[in-house]
Amino acid sequence: MRAAGLAATLAVGCVGVLPAQTMRPFVTFRQLHGETRLAARLDFAAGRLRLAPGRATELYRMSLSYDADRFIPLSYYESSGNAVALGVDAAGGAGLRVVSRNQLRQEASVELSPRADLSLIMSLGAVEADLDVGGLRIADLRLKAGASRTVLRFSEANPIHCGRADISAGAAEVSVLELGNSGCDRLRVEGGIGRMTLDFSGAWSRSQQAELNLAVTELRLRLPRKVGVRVTMDRFLASFEPDGLVRQGGAWVSPGYDKAERHLDIALQTAVGAVRVDWTR
Amino acid sequence: MRTARRCLLGLGFLVCGAPSAHAKTSCALSRVSGVFETVRAFVVQQIGPDAQKPKPQAIQPAPAGGPSVDLGDLSQPETVERRLRAAVPAPRPDLQLTIPNGQARLGDFSIGSAETVTGHLLVVGGDANVYGKLLGNLVTMDGNVVMHPGGAVSGDILALHGDVKGQGGEIGGEVRTLNAGTQPPAQPATAGSTLATVGRNVAGVFGVFFTLLALGVGVVMFARPSLEIVSDTVSYSFGRSFVTGLVGQILVLPTFGMLVVGLVLSVAGILLLPFAVVVYALLVILGVVGGYLAVAHAIGETYTRRRLARGMVVGSPNSYRYLLAGLVALFALWAAWSVIGWVPVAGELVRAAAVLVTWLLGTAGFGAALLSRAGARQSFAGRLIPAEALTDEYLWATPQVGVPAVRRPETGRGARPGSRPDSGR
Repeated sequence: MRAAGLAATLAVGCVGVLPAQTMRPFVTFRQLHGETRLAARLDFAAGRLRLAPGRATELYRMSLSYDADRFIPLSYYESSGNAVALGVDAAGGAGLRVVSRNQLRQEASVELSPRADLSLIMSLGAVEADLDVGGLRIADLRLKAGASRTVLRFSEANPIHCGRADISAGAAEVSVLELGNSGCDRLRVEGGIGRMTLDFSGAWSRSQQAELNLAVTELRLRLPRKVGVRVTMDRFLASFEPDGLVRQGGAWVSPGYDKAERHLDIALQTAVGAVRVDWTR
Repeated sequence: MRTARRCLLGLGFLVCGAPSAHAKTSCALSRVSGVFETVRAFVVQQIGPDAQKPKPQAIQPAPAGGPSVDLGDLSQPETVERRLRAAVPAPRPDLQLTIPNGQARLGDFSIGSAETVTGHLLVVGGDANVYGKLLGNLVTMDGNVVMHPGGAVSGDILALHGDVKGQGGEIGGEVRTLNAGTQPPAQPATAGSTLATVGRNVAGVFGVFFTLLALGVGVVMFARPSLEIVSDTVSYSFGRSFVTGLVGQILVLPTFGMLVVGLVLSVAGILLLPFAVVVYALLVILGVVGGYLAVAHAIGETYTRRRLARGMVVGSPNSYRYLLAGLVALFALWAAWSVIGWVPVAGELVRAAAVLVTWLLGTAGFGAALLSRAGARQSFAGRLIPAEALTDEYLWATPQVGVPAVRRPETGRGARPGSRPDSGR
């Protein structure tokens, strides 16, 4: 009994004297040496992440403050494929991981070159992310968001043609803003259990097709009036407020769809959720 | 020399640490402030960062089997740092270290503008100034990398506990800087913050307490028989209830998974899936909360009955009182934690005890709710006689065994008044 008490006391004592969380600053960058394309992969497990266009003289830069007890910085450039991997990786192996509030103090600021064509892949865990890709030359984009709060913003028009943008989110709150600036032909979104805002405002240099597969998600569509919008919907136990759209055959279309210069065709599949439509200029 | 340096250090401390004091107190000292400034500059020069730098020299390669660090791959800076720290515990002049395909230097090192250095370069305890060309990777430990115009490094640069200062130059590879860890500023434990913590904890505990009390009053009001049966099950079959609750906790998720899969596989069942999910969640919550309230009821009832047995006066022993007394007992530990939770070790101990006790009793309550089918089954409630069989005749203090039944008094002839019916045997 006494031994058990001693063991319990020691255990609690050890908990009390565990070293505090250590945040280490890490900076990495690479000068631009005439590279015209870059395959950037961004893995960030926990914390705050900011992405923005960088300096014209650099290919990429990451300033990171990471929890040295649980994570290791990720910074690897492969010159043969012009590929870079940035972010933080868990220090341990695979398995069930519980993210504490302390780990969310990690911060990363990533800047990518506005001069290279980007193939951008982002994988986010328990992250609060502000991703501004406006002004970057996005050739294609993939975003996988876990239990995150993510804002992906195309604040400026994409100077090049973007093949496709894939966004998948689970238990997340994701806002994709000014998609009209993305210059992407195809947008594919998969979402489960969360809240999502898709804002299609922007410059609209080309027509877009969007394929949305959602489950247990509250979706807010912000549609521009200057674009002809057509929504085909397959829904199950989901509400839909087609504010401003009219029924035409099996689809909902905006007035003047046929005469519009640019079109946005949305194929929406949703189960157990809600879809709301707002209009922007 | 060392003594003189200490004296200068002390003097310098006085000058650096209390400049305002000496300005206020001594006019004479102010006259010789120029002298002090000179001394101060000298002291700073002697004890400043540069003074700690080792004298520049080459680090000799270690003999075979000695320490060696490969600088060919700098993509994992923590690993490189760990290896270097192991190989170079302190920047001593007699240090020996092998850098495969490269060289190591102690103290400041410069590559001249007309110079080309081939191979990897490690600089320990000093800055690396690059005016010329380095054909390889560059690593500094406890020092900076300064790229000057016209300087070039063909490979990667890693500055451990240092910085990369770019005044021009070209870097062919990746630049990384890794600095010492900093711990986030701890909140100072002021009296105000402690009081605020205590206040927050007390408010939280009382909030949960009153919520459970309100729920309990509702249960007593509308489902007292069920609550009493679950409560009696906890009292009478505590061990069985605990084991059942433990198994129930383990099986909650698998059962949910089986339910979902079963409904998905059946054509008609998939329509019921959303409702089944909600109902299942509600049932689990009901089992846990109801079980916990039943435990509180059982504790309160036991306590009240013991007081009555001692002859103490209790106002009106009913389920409301039992519930209140039980919840007060259950929350005593949490109340203690809310008050002393900020104390470093004791607070953790009390919280651990409160969590453990709550889990134990919650598990037993959940198990009792399962065993009694939420109060519909009395098998484990210790009620040997069904309620409907409890009639008034059981209230007589007549022994039920060992005494033959009393014969009905004979009313016929020969019966003597006052005689026992079997007196003639």
